Amino acid sequence: MKISKKIIDNLKKGGVDFYLSVPCKLLANMIEILENDKDVYYSAVPREEEGMGICAGAYLGNKFPCIMMQNTGIGNSVNAIVSLLQLYQMPVVFLISYRGTPGEPVGAQGGMAKITEDILQTLRIPMLHCSSENDLDKISTFSKHAKVVESPVAILCDFNLMKDDT
Amino acid sequence: MNRFDLLNKIQNFLKDNLIICNIGLPSQELYKINDQPNFFYMLGSMGLSSSIGLGLSLSQTKQVISIDGDGSVLMNMNTLATIGNRAPSNYTLLIIDNGSYGSTGDQRTFTDENTSLKDVAVGAGCKKVIECSGEETLNELSKAIEDKNNSYVIISKINSGNVKIDPIPLNPITIRDRFRKFIGIVKYL
Repeated sequence: MKISKKIIDNLKKGGVDFYLSVPCKLLANMIEILENDKDVYYSAVPREEEGMGICAGAYLGNKFPCIMMQNTGIGNSVNAIVSLLQLYQMPVVFLISYRGTPGEPVGAQGGMAKITEDILQTLRIPMLHCSSENDLDKISTFSKHAKVVESPVAILCDFNLMKDDT
Repeated sequence: MNRFDLLNKIQNFLKDNLIICNIGLPSQELYKINDQPNFFYMLGSMGLSSSIGLGLSLSQTKQVISIDGDGSVLMNMNTLATIGNRAPSNYTLLIIDNGSYGSTGDQRTFTDENTSLKDVAVGAGCKKVIECSGEETLNELSKAIEDKNNSYVIISKINSGNVKIDPIPLNPITIRDRFRKFIGIVKYL
């Protein structure tokens, strides 16, 4: 719970006040924290691409949105990212559980893991890669950066960082 | 009645509300009829008008109308479940259902065959789902906006057919900023 709490605290410190998620086992604690947080909006959504649309609307309505998802969700969302969030220069934080990184027991997750950073790089999305607890201290500044540059940004949380956060 | 006729008929009603308008001909027709700063024209991301409007209605208190099409809703049907469970009362989804992909050459969609978006929306959990003719749409829209306790999904069954029209000349940041200025967020314009 300590890692998840630190991530949410830092996102909130960065101004993020609207959260969506497509669930992942590694995000479960964060979802539980947000479900009990009366200061911010939280909802689950069925699909990441749709979440990008809801985040765009939330930004238009003056919220600072974050969508939490597995890295697989980036693959589901490329057109929405490029032709909506980037086209209209909308700041949105992607909080990504980086499935398929070392420690991952499910071999099939390796495929998207191999290309996740390449996709983000191709999309010119600024990345913060968190592999240790100390990295989490950078999250609030990095989130604020999204607003400054009016762009979606991606925070990648490694499997091994999240797996023992019970 | 086709989409252009319908948008013409309801245009006065759109002036005071926040409008998210679907990509392609719907936005181009709306722009041609009467451009307004409270119209957010989609220039990409087909399928997401319903979702963008939902996020907007959850974030502020003004009335929001998402203008969508049958082809676009078929592309993003999962969001009907999100609407059915989360849409606040200031949200209305207007699906202009002409049974065709108008912007790409009027190919038939599945609503012209076996699919009923009304049944899908009801099954997805949407409580107030109205299917009506183009002529009845203005009346149904105004009832939906007057009801302060419920969100609505209105499916307006019209004929296919388009008018010859140019792309929207506005750049995306102009669309974004004047829309946010209308809400009262952007102060610098």
